[in-house]
Amino acid sequence: MAEKSFETTSQACCSTSSESSPILALPMDTPLRKVLSRISGFASSWGKKTVTAPRGRRIFHRDVEQDEFQNGSAHCLSSYYSVFVARLAIMVMLAILIGLLTVLTWHFTRVYTTKSLNTLAYGLRYELLQRPILRMWNVLNSTSEITTAQVKLSEYVIKRYSKPTNQAELIELYQMMKDITWALFASHKALNAITINYRNGFVQAFHRDHRSNNTFYIYSDLANYSISDTQSSQQGWNDQFIHGNESAIWYRQPLDPVTGEKQGKPSQIPPEDLINIAGPSQVPDGVASWHVAVSKYTDSPLLSAALPVRDASNRSIVAIVGVTTALYSVGQLMKELVEVHGGYIYLTSQEGYLLATSTNTPLLNNTANGPKLMMATNSEDRVIQMGAQWLQKTYGNKFPPGHVVHVEKANLGGQHYYIDSFFLNLKRLPMVGVIIIPRKYIMGKVDERALKTLVILISASVCILVIGCVCILILTNGVSKEMKLRAELISHLDARRRAEASSNYKSQFLANMSHELRTPMAAVIGLLDILICDDCLTNEQYAMVTQIRKCSTALLRLLNNILDLSKVESGKLVLEEAEFDLGRELEGLVDMFSVQCINHNVETVLDLSDDIPKVVRGDSARVVQVFANLISNSIKFTTSGHIILRGWCENPIVSGDSGKLSPDQKNPLSALKTKLKQHGNHMKKASKKDNKMILWFEVDDTGCGIDPSKWESVFESFEQADPSTTRTHGGTGLGLCIVRTLVNKMGGEIKVVKKNGQGTLMRLFLLLSTPADGIEQQRRIDFAKHGVAVILALHGSMGRLIMSKWLSKNGVPTLEASEWNELTQILHELFHARTTNSGFDTHYSLAKPLRSKVQTLQDMKNPVYIIVVDLGLLDLSTDIWKEQLNFLDKFSGQVKFAWMLNHDTSNAIKMELRRKGHILMVNKPLYKAKMLHILEAVVKESYVEPQNGSPNGTKGTSKQGDSHECLEIDSSQFETCSSDDSDISEMTGANSASSVGVGEQLKEGTVLKSGPPTLRNCLVEFTRLGLEVNNLRTEEDQCNGRPKLHDTKDVKCENPDSSEQPSVRSNAKDRDNSYTTNKAANEQKTLEGLRILLAEDTPVLQRVATIMLEKMGAVVVAVGDGVQAVEALNCDLDGDENRTNRLQTEICDSPPYDLILMDCQMPMMDGYEATKAIRKSEERTGWHIPIVALTAHAMSSDKEKCLQVGMDAYLTKPIDYKLMVSTILSLTKRSP
Amino acid sequence: MEVVQIQRTLMDYTKSLFMEGLLDSQFLQLQQLQDESNPDFVVEVVSLFFDDSEKLLNELTIALDQPSVDFKKVDSYVHQLKGSSSSIGAQRVKNACVAFRNFCQVQNIEGCLTCLQQVKQEYYLVKNKLETLFRLEQQIVTSGGSIPMIEMGF
Repeated sequence: MAEKSFETTSQACCSTSSESSPILALPMDTPLRKVLSRISGFASSWGKKTVTAPRGRRIFHRDVEQDEFQNGSAHCLSSYYSVFVARLAIMVMLAILIGLLTVLTWHFTRVYTTKSLNTLAYGLRYELLQRPILRMWNVLNSTSEITTAQVKLSEYVIKRYSKPTNQAELIELYQMMKDITWALFASHKALNAITINYRNGFVQAFHRDHRSNNTFYIYSDLANYSISDTQSSQQGWNDQFIHGNESAIWYRQPLDPVTGEKQGKPSQIPPEDLINIAGPSQVPDGVASWHVAVSKYTDSPLLSAALPVRDASNRSIVAIVGVTTALYSVGQLMKELVEVHGGYIYLTSQEGYLLATSTNTPLLNNTANGPKLMMATNSEDRVIQMGAQWLQKTYGNKFPPGHVVHVEKANLGGQHYYIDSFFLNLKRLPMVGVIIIPRKYIMGKVDERALKTLVILISASVCILVIGCVCILILTNGVSKEMKLRAELISHLDARRRAEASSNYKSQFLANMSHELRTPMAAVIGLLDILICDDCLTNEQYAMVTQIRKCSTALLRLLNNILDLSKVESGKLVLEEAEFDLGRELEGLVDMFSVQCINHNVETVLDLSDDIPKVVRGDSARVVQVFANLISNSIKFTTSGHIILRGWCENPIVSGDSGKLSPDQKNPLSALKTKLKQHGNHMKKASKKDNKMILWFEVDDTGCGIDPSKWESVFESFEQADPSTTRTHGGTGLGLCIVRTLVNKMGGEIKVVKKNGQGTLMRLFLLLSTPADGIEQQRRIDFAKHGVAVILALHGSMGRLIMSKWLSKNGVPTLEASEWNELTQILHELFHARTTNSGFDTHYSLAKPLRSKVQTLQDMKNPVYIIVVDLGLLDLSTDIWKEQLNFLDKFSGQVKFAWMLNHDTSNAIKMELRRKGHILMVNKPLYKAKMLHILEAVVKESYVEPQNGSPNGTKGTSKQGDSHECLEIDSSQFETCSSDDSDISEMTGANSASSVGVGEQLKEGTVLKSGPPTLRNCLVEFTRLGLEVNNLRTEEDQCNGRPKLHDTKDVKCENPDSSEQPSVRSNAKDRDNSYTTNKAANEQKTLEGLRILLAEDTPVLQRVATIMLEKMGAVVVAVGDGVQAVEALNCDLDGDENRTNRLQTEICDSPPYDLILMDCQMPMMDGYEATKAIRKSEERTGWHIPIVALTAHAMSSDKEKCLQVGMDAYLTKPIDYKLMVSTILSLTKRSP
Repeated sequence: MEVVQIQRTLMDYTKSLFMEGLLDSQFLQLQQLQDESNPDFVVEVVSLFFDDSEKLLNELTIALDQPSVDFKKVDSYVHQLKGSSSSIGAQRVKNACVAFRNFCQVQNIEGCLTCLQQVKQEYYLVKNKLETLFRLEQQIVTSGGSIPMIEMGF
């Protein structure tokens, strides 16, 4: 990825440079382009190099990344592309910016310098050219001045000597002229020659040879000329001038150049050999004329001017003065100038003849006819020649006006030159000056610099570009990395959401599935039940079917667990808010499990502290499920020892009393406290009635324990502390998970706590609210006042210990005995010591603390001894137990015995016990409520005894009945609500159960005492029912001879004396029957006397339900819809003859129906509406008729809705027989 | 001898009904409810079911024939049918009703029509079977035998 992008950027870099190069190359020269192409080539090769070098490693990388990449969705790729495009765009923009900057910079520097330099150069050139021209001008001027001066002087002299008549005068005139001319000639050093040509042909001339630095006076022979000639030769002037001198003899006399003295003899020279003598031909019209001449003696052209000298009358020309100046000085000046500035300057005539150059090349052509002027185009100097040729070629003869030409770039022989020309318009001698300067002299540096600047600029911009690109790359790399991360994050979130959704689907699927699965499972179990009850099964078949039944139950339990779990997970679990007796639920639970534990040789102990509120609000089924799961888990892993369920209470608002809490559990509590404190004030003020309580519980076992590292994970689903436990103990590992989710749902926490010794200690707290009147004053008989003492002769040490602690806390002195011998010792100590006071002490050596206890007991005044004897203390294997019983019987006058029975205690023993008058019998395990009841029973008995004086009469037996009633447990709750083993509940269902609290029991007891007529009525009825039940029972026992679990009752039933079976018992019994046997004969009269209103629109269902209910003895009134139901309820207040067999006291204020079965979906008015209407009308009367919903919807939300509108229970269609019966019973039993 | 034969046939026939899933445990419960006080209870309830179902099926056919189908009404009919069929244990009718309701809830008319056909089919099947069953029972009763408690043995 990274290297990929690098590749692209290097490409981008190349592309941008190649893009920008044409822009830059426009004003660029070829070398620059070469440099650029070289740079770009380098860049690309560099890029390639970096790509190729670490390929091996990268490829691997790329593979991995691609794999990752392909996992990412398309938008990840698109974001990558967008980043790439953005990056490219930024780079291109940068490239354009830098390119523009470069071009601008280059352009401005170049153009401005060029312009200014050009201006400067122009000035220079102008100046350069101007000076030789000025010099030329000067030369011309001075020549003309001299000529003019000579002419004027000559005129003056000739005027003076006008008309010389003789030779002497003439000579004098010529001498004068010679002097004047000399003076003039000497004063002008630059002059080459001054000539005077007289009319008569005489010539006087001074000549200066610059090369030899000699000065000569040249004159013609005077003898040949006559004076007259001068006058007569007016007409023949021209001829004379043309030919005249040829005949004359010329002399040359060297002179001292300074003084003019004659230096030697004059020598004869050929005429006009040395110098040009200006003749009349040169002044044809009498005006001054110029011309350029050449001479043999100079190598430079000469400039000669000629003027005529006129006579006084100004009519005729008497002489012609010619002045010749060498142009040598002009050339000299040019050379000097060129030496300083370089370049070439030359002057030509208009025709193109060279007059002066800055070079040393000759200006004249040596031809046979003497030196001739040279054309500029023929100059030996190459540059001048080429320049002249270039000019001629460019302009030909058509020069621009004024002959002014400024050419900045003339290519002469591969080099650039400036060519400027000026035109000097002199009369008769127009001249052209040309200056040729090599361009590099002026602009050379500039051009060079411009090139360098350009190269530097471009390299700098390229560098900036590269750095910028790298920067962008780095920056955008960060951005793209971030984007990549973000994209990854998004995809992860997506994946997580999907996973959550799928897990949610899974939960829902599980919830639905297990719901669907439960139905066939229920059918399987139901059919199996039917099958088990069949008579014609062989023993083998029976065993197999029982096995199948067990397996099915296990499977159903698993399904229920999964359903619970998935319900919680999918958030469908709604916790009920109903009041329930926590203590009783837990007692029932312990009762149930103790049966299982006894087989395991494990002691189950319930240790609830006294401050736990009796009634709390919450979901009793779920609370029970939590503890059932915990205890069954403990039982599974505990082979010996004990399982203790401890409970205590802490009010979160009232802090303190944390003595029981260990430091580590204070933390969650304090956290909870702060949490609650926020609501605390509100709670205190607004809802003081609804007290939230923290209830702490511990389940403590002595099993194999859990490794501390697994303390958290055991609460995960399908998690077990040790994988091998599945093999040895079975289970799925869902139990604790359900527990934790439930506990959390109830606002609590659960965890495993470190424990001293072997085993596991699970600690949890639940946040339950207590109802307004929840903390009622617990009625407590002050046992200490009654002088009660208890001897606990129990096997289980832990239960005994806890019980004795609790008793002594309540002011009841206790003694403990764990085995038979100990018990006998204590008995001996207590009674024999008192009665005989003899030396038994020596025989029975009691332990010291026990003895002191015994002594405190002996100190009590008239104590009532209660001995709680575990039946297991007796030796039941042989017949010794009868003797032991006889032994104990000896003390029966002094003490009260309460027997702890096992669930499998045989009937013979029970009969024997009852025969001996031991009527206080409770099933194991012993817990507070049972103990309390035993104590109360004994105290009452001893209280009643002196009043009636008949200790073993009906009172006693009625007490027995009470006690049994009191210790009954409503097994239907466990059956329907918790996901426990139904075989356990089956067993406990056989145990004595109680749905009526202790307080009610006592109330009933007082009723029995105070009102004899009522009591008699009750007894009569009890007898009748009891007989009926007995008949049924015997019938049943006859038809199936296999061991039954409800031995206790069988015994009671067979006992003809015990006619005081309470009516409630028959309910429990029949439920039991309906569960285990479906024989039609047994089902009748379960709902005897109940009046039930059935609201159901479907005729089939209506009929079925009616028959079902009628079969159980209920009176059914069926209506078709909700409206009819409401009407039936309102008008049907009397005329119900079925009430005759009910107690008279209840008639006056009872509602017309005991129960309403309400279908939810009905025409006219559905079940919800009907229920609302009924509840509204009930407000007037104060009744509360239980309404049971019948619905085909099996969702918990429907249940919620049903309960919300005021229904009490909920049945699903098709109607399950057993469930309906138990529901109806549980509802109708409460209401009277 | 003949009575025994018919009794066996009845037993086998009833078993086959359970095996094929036409009936479920609810029917057993129904039979358990029948005793001396209600000798014709099962027949009574089942014929009630037949009447009710036929009425409902007619209503359903009419309701689904309407140009604009009132799915709420159809749903309530199917619900009733489901309730009554589950009460007598006509399992397959019930299951067909469940599917029917699902289509009803998503307002799928095609599915509803298919389901109606299926429900009808199942209904007539169970009706035939039950009528045969009752005929057999009747034969036993007329020939002086007693209806065996097949449901227990099953």
